[in-house]
Amino acid sequence: MTLLDDHEGDLTKGLERLARRAKFAEMMGQASRGESVMIDTKSTVVSPQPRLAGVVYRVWTGARWAEAATSDLSGRDLEATVARLESELGRAGGSEPPPGESTTTRATWTTPTRRSLEELGREGTIRLGKEVRGWATAVPGIVETQVRLSWQDEERLYANSAGARCLQQTVRTHVIAVPIAMENGRPAFDFLSRGGVGGLERVPGLEEPEVRKAAESSRELLHAKAPPTGELEVLLDDTVAGLLAHESFGHGTEADQFVRDRSYLKPLVGQVVAPPFLSISDDGAFPGGWGSIYCDDEGHPGQKTRLIDHGRFVGALHDRESAAVLGAKATGSTRRSNFLSRAFVRMTNTYVEPGDRTLEELIAEVKQGVLLEHGSSGIEDPLGGQMQLKVRKGHKIEHGRLTDLVGSMALSGRVLDFLRATKGVGRSNGIEIESGFCGKGHSDYLPVGTGGVPVLSRAIVGPA
Amino acid sequence: MSANGSSAELAFRAASLLKAEPPWEVVAERSRRYEIHLQGTRIELERGPVTAEGYGVRLLRPRGGTLGVGFQASTDVSLEGVAAAADDANAAARHAEFPAKSVELPSGNESAPSVPVVDPKLWSDPLGALRGYVDTLLGEFDGRNGVVPSFGSVKAVLSEVSITNSSGLRAAFSSTTVELEVAVKAFGGPEGRPPGEYWVNDAARRLEPERLERSVDDWCRYAADVRRAVPPPSGELPVVLTTEVLDGILPIVLGTRFSGQARLRKIAPELGSEVGVPELTIRDEGEYAWSPGSAPYDDEGRPHVKTTLIDRGAVGAHLYDALYASALGARSTASARRTTVGPSANLRFAFPPHPEASTTVVLPGDGGSLDELVEEAGDGVLVTQLGWAQPDPVSSEFGGEIRIGYRIRGGKIAEPLRGGTVGGAGLAPAGAASLLRNLAGIGSSSERSGTLVSPPLLARPLTVAGA
Repeated sequence: MTLLDDHEGDLTKGLERLARRAKFAEMMGQASRGESVMIDTKSTVVSPQPRLAGVVYRVWTGARWAEAATSDLSGRDLEATVARLESELGRAGGSEPPPGESTTTRATWTTPTRRSLEELGREGTIRLGKEVRGWATAVPGIVETQVRLSWQDEERLYANSAGARCLQQTVRTHVIAVPIAMENGRPAFDFLSRGGVGGLERVPGLEEPEVRKAAESSRELLHAKAPPTGELEVLLDDTVAGLLAHESFGHGTEADQFVRDRSYLKPLVGQVVAPPFLSISDDGAFPGGWGSIYCDDEGHPGQKTRLIDHGRFVGALHDRESAAVLGAKATGSTRRSNFLSRAFVRMTNTYVEPGDRTLEELIAEVKQGVLLEHGSSGIEDPLGGQMQLKVRKGHKIEHGRLTDLVGSMALSGRVLDFLRATKGVGRSNGIEIESGFCGKGHSDYLPVGTGGVPVLSRAIVGPA
Repeated sequence: MSANGSSAELAFRAASLLKAEPPWEVVAERSRRYEIHLQGTRIELERGPVTAEGYGVRLLRPRGGTLGVGFQASTDVSLEGVAAAADDANAAARHAEFPAKSVELPSGNESAPSVPVVDPKLWSDPLGALRGYVDTLLGEFDGRNGVVPSFGSVKAVLSEVSITNSSGLRAAFSSTTVELEVAVKAFGGPEGRPPGEYWVNDAARRLEPERLERSVDDWCRYAADVRRAVPPPSGELPVVLTTEVLDGILPIVLGTRFSGQARLRKIAPELGSEVGVPELTIRDEGEYAWSPGSAPYDDEGRPHVKTTLIDRGAVGAHLYDALYASALGARSTASARRTTVGPSANLRFAFPPHPEASTTVVLPGDGGSLDELVEEAGDGVLVTQLGWAQPDPVSSEFGGEIRIGYRIRGGKIAEPLRGGTVGGAGLAPAGAASLLRNLAGIGSSSERSGTLVSPPLLARPLTVAGA
């Protein structure tokens, strides 16, 4: 029994009506349920996931794509939505075939969970949240701790006029704890954030030592020094390296931007952009990764795509249209934020592949620089190839040794300069995927994962 | 313009099916969304209507000196759907705790201000109005050499909201919201430089094609200047910030740190404490015309009012919705909001309210025009666009990469800048430096960008990191 069971018949009838007039038609039905519990020292907020459902239809008019969507899965708006696109098909009058290949995948996927918050129940989740809050608040100097535990069970049904039918039920679990320290009216915080596709087994580190560590970091940040400014040697920790892979580099590999001539990487396909010890991948099939998908919103399976292979820019991310225009294959990268949003080429889990240096070796190599720790955000610049990454904290590196703790910083500079100046990449036995949300521009936010290993290079460091 | 029957009927019908003990509240929304996406100068995709209809139920259950607050939203408008949503809200309320004994929901006895937030042309013919706007937009690029739009979209949301509650409120209003995103690319030329881009993002309540001619001139100039821009110098420098840059800083800093939430968590500045220069006054004005932060009512159905947040440099008020006002012994400032402008703009019903800024208005000062602020800066930096200032909601520290700015030399605008970062603290405890304390000039003429109405500001100094 799935959330969309009662409606699949009506949705499919709409698709069949459109398929009679269009050279190609597809639909994505969506429904979700879930809950989040937020606990702080003042309140407990229980928020059931809104009971939202809807469907989006897309048709090829013979000249371009047209879309319409509704939250009404069986009533007058569903009829009007289909009728609106039928009318558009009658009006447009083109005769070109749709770009690219249509999928014919037929499959069903369900996320297996070993320890789900749903099974833990509302009272159990509140107990766990209060326990986490207690661990953090027990650290002297912590005046407030906010803990949020949430799960979502999302169902997406993709079908098209070529015969594809992909049903995926994806469970995501996320936990964040934010201990706030305060001194003389000045607050400071660090945080612990974990999430993945699956249950609590995908939330490593939700234990007292890790939570206390985040709280102690919040307190230490009260006395952090101002970060250095200017162009410096910079050592990114694995979280910041993941942000670099996604925000600074990855957005330029989204090939819909190639089609628009809006990527600094377009002329560089096949060329060396970094030293041979640097590789970057995007992997929609990463087990349990926060950004993992079973199939994309055109019916292509989630999959791994190597973007930089030993320093050479070898791959871009494609939907059916960019693949057709550029003579490539779709990479399972077509994603909609939800049924209200259009599809774009998007990343899934993007990370720097492990190298062969230890963190200590990389630190020892720096005369005057800074270690950037705990990445918090970034923003893309697909045409200009500039980067902006923000971190919660860091440490100065002086003559090969970590020294002063410094507060939040921003990293900037040209991505290609950064990649080319890379002096070393850290080793790791496994990549840990951090959870985040990413927009295409300033909208269409969806879950993405980032990760990596330490990376040593040069860039501009400034205030954040 | 008032809402037509459908969303109002939905809220009132859902309320009649609730069978809930007071206090309760139901908000319903019916929205239509239309979008035109561009790929270069061709239309890549037309979307619409994207319709969403739903409601949110909030139940407030006094229990042993605290309040159990339960909220659930649904797009299932059937009798069974309403019952299921109410069950969810009840179950959530049983487990929730909020430090208030009771809550005073608005009764609807106060009249709402008349706030223009509906674009009539857009309302009556959304796709026609969008197509006309896109034609005008693309027409502005005709005949320009070496500059094109590479990516963009114009999106419009037409929304009808109704709110009813157990205190007798029956409020309804309509609004239109427009989101514009355009990446303008400058390219070519004999010098062989890489292309440059100026990336426009704005939100408004109406389409204003008549403003495009001047705007596109500016966008093209910025995109061309990016191609010859250099990183800024490093140091503590006078910095002039435009309204667009301030829109990424002030509404977030004030909306979070001046909110009832912040006060409850003891991270809000105290009433009367000095946080800015004496020349600085900032208001929250939910009835400011045509701002995407404005509407006749807040999201609990209370008529919007003006609230002076900073009065001549000192904290004048905090922002409250009904719940946080009850918890802190204050009166609501009609600051309940369910979403901000953006991707969730047509799912307002799906979020419970919380206190937040509406339209933030910085009163003009005597600093004169932008050119006069630049002259006053002497040797510094003018920032026209930041990548993402993203203020920290706790510390209020902000910072971002300079996407386009200009060096100021001898009081005049000099070479363009790109790269490097600029930032600092938005607010700071007494005796510490902050953007609001370091203001050395407040411009005399305001513009609106997003939910901020402000003149440009000169801060002396801010930290700039560059070459």
